[in-house]
Amino acid sequence: MKQTLRQSMSWLHTWGGLWFTWILFAIFLTGTLGVFDDPISHWMREQGKIGEIAPSTVDQRSRAVELGQRHLAAVSPRADFWSIALPGDENPNLRVFWRADEDAPFKQAQLDPLTGAELQPGASRETEGGHHFVHMHFEFHAGMAGIWIVGAATMAMLVALVSGIIVHKKIFTDFFTFRPGKGQRSWLDGHNALGVLTLPFLFVISYTGLTIFWATYMPAGVLARYDGSEEAFFARLSEEPAPRPLQHIDAPMPELAPLMRRGEAAIGREASFVVVEHAGDRSAAVRVFGRFDPDAENNRLVGRGSGSALYDAITLETLDVQLPNTVRGGSVLQTQRTMNALHFVRFGGYPMKWLYFICGMAASAMLATGAILFMVKRRKKSANEFGAATARVYRGIEVLNVAAIAGLILACAAYFWINRLLPLDVAERGTREIVLFFAVWLASLAHAALRPSLAAWREQLAACALLCLGLPLLNLATTGDWLVAALARGDGETAGVELSAIGFGLIFLAMLRQLRRRAPTLTVDRPETAKTAAIDAIGGR
Amino acid sequence: MSVPSPAHPRLALGSRVLAAVVGGYALASVFSIWLSYLLPAELPEAVLGATLFSFAVYTAAVIWVFAAASAARAWLGLLLPGAAMGLMAAALQLGGAAA
Repeated sequence: MKQTLRQSMSWLHTWGGLWFTWILFAIFLTGTLGVFDDPISHWMREQGKIGEIAPSTVDQRSRAVELGQRHLAAVSPRADFWSIALPGDENPNLRVFWRADEDAPFKQAQLDPLTGAELQPGASRETEGGHHFVHMHFEFHAGMAGIWIVGAATMAMLVALVSGIIVHKKIFTDFFTFRPGKGQRSWLDGHNALGVLTLPFLFVISYTGLTIFWATYMPAGVLARYDGSEEAFFARLSEEPAPRPLQHIDAPMPELAPLMRRGEAAIGREASFVVVEHAGDRSAAVRVFGRFDPDAENNRLVGRGSGSALYDAITLETLDVQLPNTVRGGSVLQTQRTMNALHFVRFGGYPMKWLYFICGMAASAMLATGAILFMVKRRKKSANEFGAATARVYRGIEVLNVAAIAGLILACAAYFWINRLLPLDVAERGTREIVLFFAVWLASLAHAALRPSLAAWREQLAACALLCLGLPLLNLATTGDWLVAALARGDGETAGVELSAIGFGLIFLAMLRQLRRRAPTLTVDRPETAKTAAIDAIGGR
Repeated sequence: MSVPSPAHPRLALGSRVLAAVVGGYALASVFSIWLSYLLPAELPEAVLGATLFSFAVYTAAVIWVFAAASAARAWLGLLLPGAAMGLMAAALQLGGAAA
């Protein structure tokens, strides 16, 4: 039997798409939320209540660096890495990070910027905030394994896009076709319209997602042409000094505060981070990073960067100075960095972020409609692909659809509630919040497995609506702050989070209403048919 | 499941999946090495540029594998260009070392 190209591409799109759709939905939904990681962190850390932080003076920064260095020298005198994060808008505390050696985990402490005393758990709402969504998006909190899973899924996305275009030949006419309330046909129309509408975005976001990790995903070129010396390769590529090998000879560390002042003078910006590589070793180097200046970075894709200065920690000689907003490296490197900037939406300010957010949500909806369409088609008439096991496989897919779509949305909404409800003084609070996020997701899987699928969809959507609509009230009850107060003081980040939550809550309510409105018109004496038709109606307008 | 049609449909499907995932990746890898010799840029930049293109090659390879009339043709379509690019890259490497 000879296959046409469209038939084989249809097969590839259906099956290749199905097995990756749940992972891809998670990548797209969390990535879309991650567009607003800073406002989400702002809401989670209750920074609206803190208000504007007065700009620091050079003496205050010097003092903070001294206190940070004292703490690091006491906890880890010989370390692969020290970092002192100076207080700023994103966090009013002094933070120190360190790692004993290359294989050790990163550790951190928060210090009072005036006294250097370590802040105890409970002093502030410790949270990963919006970074949780960003990490879900590119590694599922699973490190290298997660990065590879996301990479494989993104390749599948590119293949699904190309095969989808080949299958869908009448792209232009179909874009204006939407036949609502027609079950399977409506799902297909929705899937097509969303996919075509966001097609350029989908290609750009998928391809640039892969090229961020180009050297990890596709190391052949570097390995073949550099005989495995990746450090030499990257130093030459970025035109920066190569990292210096550890000498294993003890050496006292200099005062970092004077180096911070030298760095600030050299790059012409306030310092944000002071980092020491190989602390306590003869090979130690100190790097001073400039503070990010959003006004200088907006509308700029090439030559981004807040500047940095690098010093030999022993001789104090200047090793490298990179001024803010200067280009270093050749045109190909700039191309790759521009692709990164396109992926991270580091241009165009809030209007562009909202455009990405809307496209990302449309893409997530496209993935969800694709997954649901697969089952809607087969509920009507089994395609019998798995022989005797077909019914069981379908049920598994149905359960995974509910848990991966409604369940993940529920877990994301619950993450905001967990942030407000988990006591402030629990140890490892930020990690605990993420563990609970996964617990909610797992519970949604169990719920989907135990309930009939229509009930599972309905109940999880109802829970999503409840959590989203209740978020401003929860904030008011737990912190005394909320939407109206935030609007009154002009705090767009806090208000934006809560208004968006209300918007999503209303969308989930509309979906529920749609389900309920269509269900009673179905005959009651044939419960199986009624159920199938009602499931067909989920989201169908 | 309509793509594989030969006597052993499961085997043929497995062969295609293997060709797409592993064969496609190998082809993209060889391509990135080959192109890095040809791009008119300094060595580190040529490697980066070639690697940026390789994801498109991987995508095209997977599409090819499932569009081909048979699993054997799918493999052949990967092996021939892969071998050609590999030989060319090896020749360029030897030529470069001799020069």
